[in-house]
Amino acid sequence: MRLGRAAAPIIAFVVLGVVVAVVPSFVSAFRAQQLAYVGIYLVALIGLNVLTGYTGQISLGHGAFMAVGGYTTAILMSDHGVKDVWTIPLAALVAGVGGFLFGIPALRLSGLYLALATFAIAVSMPAVIKRFESFTGGGSGINLFGTPELTASLTPVTILGQELVFNDWLYYLSWTVALIGYVIAWLLLRGRTGRAFRAVRDSETAAQSSGVSLPRYKTLAFGVSAAYAGAAGSLFAIATTFVNPDTFPIALSILLLVGVVVGGLGSLVGLIAGAVFIQFLPIWSQEISQSPGAPSVVSGLVLIALMFVLPMGVAGLVGRLRLLTRRGYHRADSQAD
Amino acid sequence: MSKKIALALFALVLTLALGATAALAGVGRTAADPGVSDREIVIGATTPLSGPFSSVSSVTIGASAYFKHVSANGGVNGRKITFKYLDDQYDPAKTVQLTRQLVEQEKVFAIFNTIGTEHNLAIRDYLNASKVPQVFAASGSTTLGRDAAQYPSAIGFQPSYQAEGWVYGKYLARTRPGAKVAVLFQDDDYGKDLLGGLKRGLQRSKVKVVAAEPYSATSADVQSQVAKLKASGADTFAIFAVGKFAIQAYVYANKFGWRPKLVINNIVSSASNVMAIASEGGTNKVVPASISGVFLKDPTDPKWRNDAGVKLYRQILKRYAPGANANDPYHMYGMAAAYTFVEALKKTGKTPTREALVKAVASLNITKNPFMIPGIFIKTGPNDRFPIEQMLLQRWQKNSWRSFGGLWGYRSA
Repeated sequence: MRLGRAAAPIIAFVVLGVVVAVVPSFVSAFRAQQLAYVGIYLVALIGLNVLTGYTGQISLGHGAFMAVGGYTTAILMSDHGVKDVWTIPLAALVAGVGGFLFGIPALRLSGLYLALATFAIAVSMPAVIKRFESFTGGGSGINLFGTPELTASLTPVTILGQELVFNDWLYYLSWTVALIGYVIAWLLLRGRTGRAFRAVRDSETAAQSSGVSLPRYKTLAFGVSAAYAGAAGSLFAIATTFVNPDTFPIALSILLLVGVVVGGLGSLVGLIAGAVFIQFLPIWSQEISQSPGAPSVVSGLVLIALMFVLPMGVAGLVGRLRLLTRRGYHRADSQAD
Repeated sequence: MSKKIALALFALVLTLALGATAALAGVGRTAADPGVSDREIVIGATTPLSGPFSSVSSVTIGASAYFKHVSANGGVNGRKITFKYLDDQYDPAKTVQLTRQLVEQEKVFAIFNTIGTEHNLAIRDYLNASKVPQVFAASGSTTLGRDAAQYPSAIGFQPSYQAEGWVYGKYLARTRPGAKVAVLFQDDDYGKDLLGGLKRGLQRSKVKVVAAEPYSATSADVQSQVAKLKASGADTFAIFAVGKFAIQAYVYANKFGWRPKLVINNIVSSASNVMAIASEGGTNKVVPASISGVFLKDPTDPKWRNDAGVKLYRQILKRYAPGANANDPYHMYGMAAAYTFVEALKKTGKTPTREALVKAVASLNITKNPFMIPGIFIKTGPNDRFPIEQMLLQRWQKNSWRSFGGLWGYRSA
């Protein structure tokens, strides 16, 4: 019975994996690079989903954890000659520890106060980066293009017999990390930890009285989500080949939260839709109008419209479509996916 | 149908849809170099159309208007110039992504006049490796001209910030011996180059820099820095800051009762609209002491009221960028750069190639750019990658800039 219920998600996941693997053969190299960024945002959103969707904590500061991951990667690559791929888990670790440490004082905060505290991290990160200039390169940043540690930026790399140019390499790298990250998150969330997270989200008092340790699970949620943001930041630095304080602005933290909301909390479909939204909205709004200031206005209007039309995000839409099918009706009660 | 399979199909449909749109782009270019066809040349740039630095995007609007004017009048060797520009929100990460989009998807011939120092430096390696010319970058960063050996196809436009600072230093050394200078500077290449140039100009003189306070572009304001500078007892204030920070520098100096004998404002922030705001309706007592450098004709300077170049500028803006404020001198910058590009393009012959463009840009000799102050010429050569190396000084008097004195020339590098 258990295996039967798990079979459908596993099959669908494998199908997704196959789709991801073959897409580059159908699209231009440049489009593959844009999809690579979708994969990068997806990694960050998976983590933010754990924190916000499952544990109910709002964060407006995940751009800062991406910055931590991005700078860890850049510094390891340019100053210590570490190959780009190996910096990804290290960046995730550093950012994860940072998130965990932040979670400790944040235990006393909730709701809007927590959001403000995370926002403070996002606001102060560029200044902190510039403060430690000898370490981070300050305002001029760190350039990675063409260095031997950066795979394929100048000449294609050969993997499993396939020659990959930079754009395709980025695509496969980020989507591999995203899919592995999703599996890890799924395993984490379907067990006791996931149940504890949901208990914290639904009611902290009830969770405490059932023996769920709030400090433990809240800090764990921060640590895990920051680790994902760090991995995303690492991939971002590799893809952009350049980091400086302005490449992780406050707008990024806000966009990540927007992605989670537009995508809808708690579902992979939603997260992919959210990542697509973050990547392509600025591009689409420019196609509508290019007068100075107009693209932001268009983005804002689109967001407002979406909140009216799809208050539960894309995942909510998919959920509602499911309700229309008979089998979906029976499973409508269970929130877990 | 299970939700998971729905997810997989959703992903498939989405990516195929995106792939289909990609297939439609970039069709129909038939020529040796990308971006060149029988009828048109396509060039690209990124510019901050949104965000706190969006006022600088007027440069791009001015350039775009000029290209439309040229295209409407026969183009260059029968080819129109199509100028595609994208909004990078002054975020260098977006500059990198959008520049790649311009090169790989829009297949532009060259990247022209991208805005921002860090932004141009972030894309320089990529453009160099892809052999795409990066011409007339809208930044005075000294490395753009200095690293020509390593980056043969990248070149700036305006006087380098170091050179600009040097002129201010030399002017102070000659006219105000014994002066004490306090400097507010942005803590990136732009601000540091200006400060470094100033110090070099002051070498072996009796003028001293007694205080220098940095601020970062992400700071909220510069109040504490200005307070410290006033406390240093300096009698000369140098503002190497951008836009709103330059305005704040004036406002806070006035508020704290600081009356420096001379204020030096840098070229980037000396636009008359910025000065007008800083004047606080005429009540600001620090603004009237200002001098700055200039190499373009300021459309609000009474000296150029009947000048043919300025009249042309106003006509072009009115026709091709209706709604643009003609008194905003950033438009003039864009037009001057666009004019220079067109002249370089003319030298590439019947079928322009990227190599020919780079050669033309490295051997410029333009003496009559209608948008620049007469006498200032645009010259480059095998050992000289700084197109503009002259400027006039100007003084803020009665709510407008008036240039004075002779041309300052210098060797950059």
